[in-house]
Amino acid sequence: MRSRLSAIQLLRREWRGGELGLLFVAVVLAVAMVMGISTFVSRLQSTLEAESSRFLAADAVVRSRTAINMDWLMAAERDGLAVAQTQVFSTMVIGSEESMFMTSVKAVSSHYPLRGALAVSRDAFSLPETTSSVPPPGEVWLAPRLFELLNVATGDSVQVGYLALRVAGAIRTEPDAGGSMIGYGPRLMMNIADVPATGVVQPGSQVTYSLLVAGAEEVVETFSERIKPQLVQGQRLLALEEGQPSVARALDRARGFLLLSGSLAVLLAAAAMALVARRFAERHTDSVAVMKSLGAQKQQISQLYLRALLLLGATATAIGGGLGGLLQLLLFTLLEDQLPVAPGAIGTLPWLLAGATAAVSLLAFAWPPIRRLAGVPPLRVLRRDIGSIGDQRVSELAIAGLSMAGLMWWYSADWRMTAALICGLLLTVGLGYILSRLFLRGSRAVGARAGSAWLLGLAGLQRRRAANAITMTVLAMAIMLMLVVTMIRTSLIEQWRAQLPEGSPNHFVMNVAPDESSRFLEELKRNAIATQPLFPMIRGRVIAVNDVALPEWRDAQGGPRQREANFSWSETVPDNNELLSGRWWSEGRDAPEVSLEAEFASSIGAQVGDQLRFDIAGSEFEAAVANIRKLDWQSMQPNFWVVFPEHVLAPYPGMLLTSFHLSAEQKPVLNALVREFPTVSVIELDVAIREIRAIVDQVSQAVEWVLWVTLFAGVLVLLAGVQASMDSRLYENALLRALGARKQILTGALALEFAALGAGAGVLSVAGAELTAWILQSQVLDLSYRSTPELWPLAVLGGVILIASFGVVSCRRATTVAPLRVLREFV
Amino acid sequence: MIKAVNLTKTVPVADGVLEILRGIDLEIKPGESAAIVGASGSGKSTLLGLLAGLDEASSGEVFIGDACLSAMDEDQRAALRAREVGFVFQSFQLLPALSALENVMLPLELAGAQQPEVTALSYLQRVGLDNRTQHFPKMLSGGEQQRVAIARAFAARPSVLFADEPTGNLDTVTGQRIIDLLFELNQSESTTLVLVTHDQRLAARCQRQFSMSAGALEELQA
Repeated sequence: MRSRLSAIQLLRREWRGGELGLLFVAVVLAVAMVMGISTFVSRLQSTLEAESSRFLAADAVVRSRTAINMDWLMAAERDGLAVAQTQVFSTMVIGSEESMFMTSVKAVSSHYPLRGALAVSRDAFSLPETTSSVPPPGEVWLAPRLFELLNVATGDSVQVGYLALRVAGAIRTEPDAGGSMIGYGPRLMMNIADVPATGVVQPGSQVTYSLLVAGAEEVVETFSERIKPQLVQGQRLLALEEGQPSVARALDRARGFLLLSGSLAVLLAAAAMALVARRFAERHTDSVAVMKSLGAQKQQISQLYLRALLLLGATATAIGGGLGGLLQLLLFTLLEDQLPVAPGAIGTLPWLLAGATAAVSLLAFAWPPIRRLAGVPPLRVLRRDIGSIGDQRVSELAIAGLSMAGLMWWYSADWRMTAALICGLLLTVGLGYILSRLFLRGSRAVGARAGSAWLLGLAGLQRRRAANAITMTVLAMAIMLMLVVTMIRTSLIEQWRAQLPEGSPNHFVMNVAPDESSRFLEELKRNAIATQPLFPMIRGRVIAVNDVALPEWRDAQGGPRQREANFSWSETVPDNNELLSGRWWSEGRDAPEVSLEAEFASSIGAQVGDQLRFDIAGSEFEAAVANIRKLDWQSMQPNFWVVFPEHVLAPYPGMLLTSFHLSAEQKPVLNALVREFPTVSVIELDVAIREIRAIVDQVSQAVEWVLWVTLFAGVLVLLAGVQASMDSRLYENALLRALGARKQILTGALALEFAALGAGAGVLSVAGAELTAWILQSQVLDLSYRSTPELWPLAVLGGVILIASFGVVSCRRATTVAPLRVLREFV
Repeated sequence: MIKAVNLTKTVPVADGVLEILRGIDLEIKPGESAAIVGASGSGKSTLLGLLAGLDEASSGEVFIGDACLSAMDEDQRAALRAREVGFVFQSFQLLPALSALENVMLPLELAGAQQPEVTALSYLQRVGLDNRTQHFPKMLSGGEQQRVAIARAFAARPSVLFADEPTGNLDTVTGQRIIDLLFELNQSESTTLVLVTHDQRLAARCQRQFSMSAGALEELQA
């Protein structure tokens, strides 16, 4: 028999019932969140990649201590990749009137940089402009400070080795200058074709050769894969990740948060769907029994409702997809002015994810209770007591849980994040079970106790204890997820702000000679510039561990090797450093000890207690490893691989390093300083810091937006949870009113019952949320865990107020509509 | 024709088995009207459920026409109900989300009938509700709702109509009108009518009367 009743007709008719509206909103919300956030995140990802390329000046770079193999260059060109070469070396450059200075020369080929751009100015401090060319042969660009140090102006000549080169301008920005803060002197940029004539680069000279390539992603990848096995000692392939600046790190955490919120919103929407679908099914058992008594077959009912659900899902997916598209556009509009490169393309993944989300949440959460409708016996038309749709089966719950976990995993690509959420939810459910056993069990009250709101409310809590336990746990899960998002968002933003507080140092000064340090500090003070302490900085090398000599890099076979680094001293653990093992030295001890950064320690194969041999400018000494530290490279503070007690390092000659904050208006002071102290090197990070702070501010705003959407999803679940428990209350209250119970007492009892559920849910949610936040902050998002007791009363009070008011408003029909009308609906 | 042969229905209870129907034999010819009367709990609604194929008997057989319901599964019985059976219930059993017209169209749509709207409209006209077609059940009085239910029962042109206390939820005057309507339609459509009631006046309108007591059925002499 072929029914003429179509899914569209069914949907159109059932829409009036109200439950489908909530189901529809839940699907739209889930899809919009997934679509919006995954699109935003995937475009952000490609933006970050572009940004990283800019910091590499290429898509991939082969860095080598020996001349680049020309076969590689030709292979890259054959593959259709854009190619450029650079050579970086230090040499003494001679200016006018015998002035000379050790400079860091970068010789570049045409097309450099392949990503990002150079900015040059005509004179040392005139307005910089971006350029797509490099210095032509015979010309150089100097760092602004070199003009002063070499006593030259634009148009003058400088001597590099045997070759005289004309100064054509000042080099102000180069994309791949970042990374190491420790330079070897101010920059001189020249054409690579001039290098042989200078005679500076000889076999054995310390030169860093780079081959830069850029092009289509898959071509670059193929090229990289081919080169990798051919690399020898002293050669490295730098891919995009290595070029990521600290902006990328900040955005990466934001990405983690957004994916987390997205997962939570989907989870919340799925929970709302399950609740709404169950209520829909409960309210449709009679209709289905009638349809079956009129001749509808089981399969016919199943197909009809499944088609209707899929149709609803498809429509909601289309609308949710559109809204998600708008959401990500909105998020990008917020960031538009701050992103250094244009956002990347959308790609197909978000569409797949959005479709899968709708399908999984509908089929795993909404479908099971609706599917059971087909099993309602037709005899229910005569006997109302049979054919209720029954409880969720364990297998259905398991499938729903697993499919949701799988979806979240796919979505966030982070199993730890998924596991953290599942742990938190399981704890909430477990505690919910225990709490409901403890408090809602008690002895069953006799009668309805309709004389007082208080007693009536308590009696209601106990009478419906099974349903109330489920409602409370579901509400607790919703509040828990909302709390988690709020907690993570708060600690994320706090951490960002703490990392770069207003007035944090944005200029680093190196090579301050000890004898001019006090004059230098006074000069800063005179200009009202607050300084950080001066850190000693001495260049040295680790040459042996436990009397075993370390090989030089040329001879090391991938194992421990000699390392050169800047040494410093400190009597206390430096700020932003964390001791991983060992102990810090106490003042007054004169044993030679040393503190190593963890990565550095592993590269030389040293552990706490090992005896190291150091070499500073030819003199050797020994020290024992006292401890191993972790550094926070995001801190924008001077950081050192190797730190000694003062007495160990004090006898060696060294320079000092400090940092200070300079506002935009104070910038001209810098020129005066450079003139006054020509040997001092200044690293200007103000532009980079401004850029990071602006992006962090904008991303914080995006995070706030997403937080609100997630909270909305949570409220939706609360509403669905309260609604789901409504029918029995509605009927009972109508009956009590018919029997003469006063309106105030009924409303009071309802408010009390829901407030108690809200309070219970609030308490449960706090426990679950703290556990989840702890796992997420400490294990997943690389944030430090902080419990948030200030949110606890908010969770409990919020639970009480929201749930009690939803409950009373949803039940108002029981106290406002004539009892007979309500009762007739339940006959 | 409806026929029951040695029909029993038992349900397991805590201390053994409860016999609801004990060996019922019954035959009602096409076009006949029959009333089953009895006190609450006598088993008359259970018998109606079995005769209409809404439930399965513990033993014995039920026939509607030549079809043996006892040999059919639920889906086959549903298909038979769609073709042959109509219902009128005490609590009307209209779908609340559907308008009066849509409620009447429902069995026609389920059976795949052509132009269900036209047929449904004509039946609503016959029960005097052609001006309330777009109204929803909660906007209609009890009598009006039962009239919609009667229109729905006859619209699919069933050969057998089962009515379970059709006036049970109505006042006397409205109940009387509903009975008139039911019999009028029954006569003009030549439907076999099986009625369960404890209203003696309603039972008296039927050609045959049966009395149900403690699970046993006995025909009362006219």
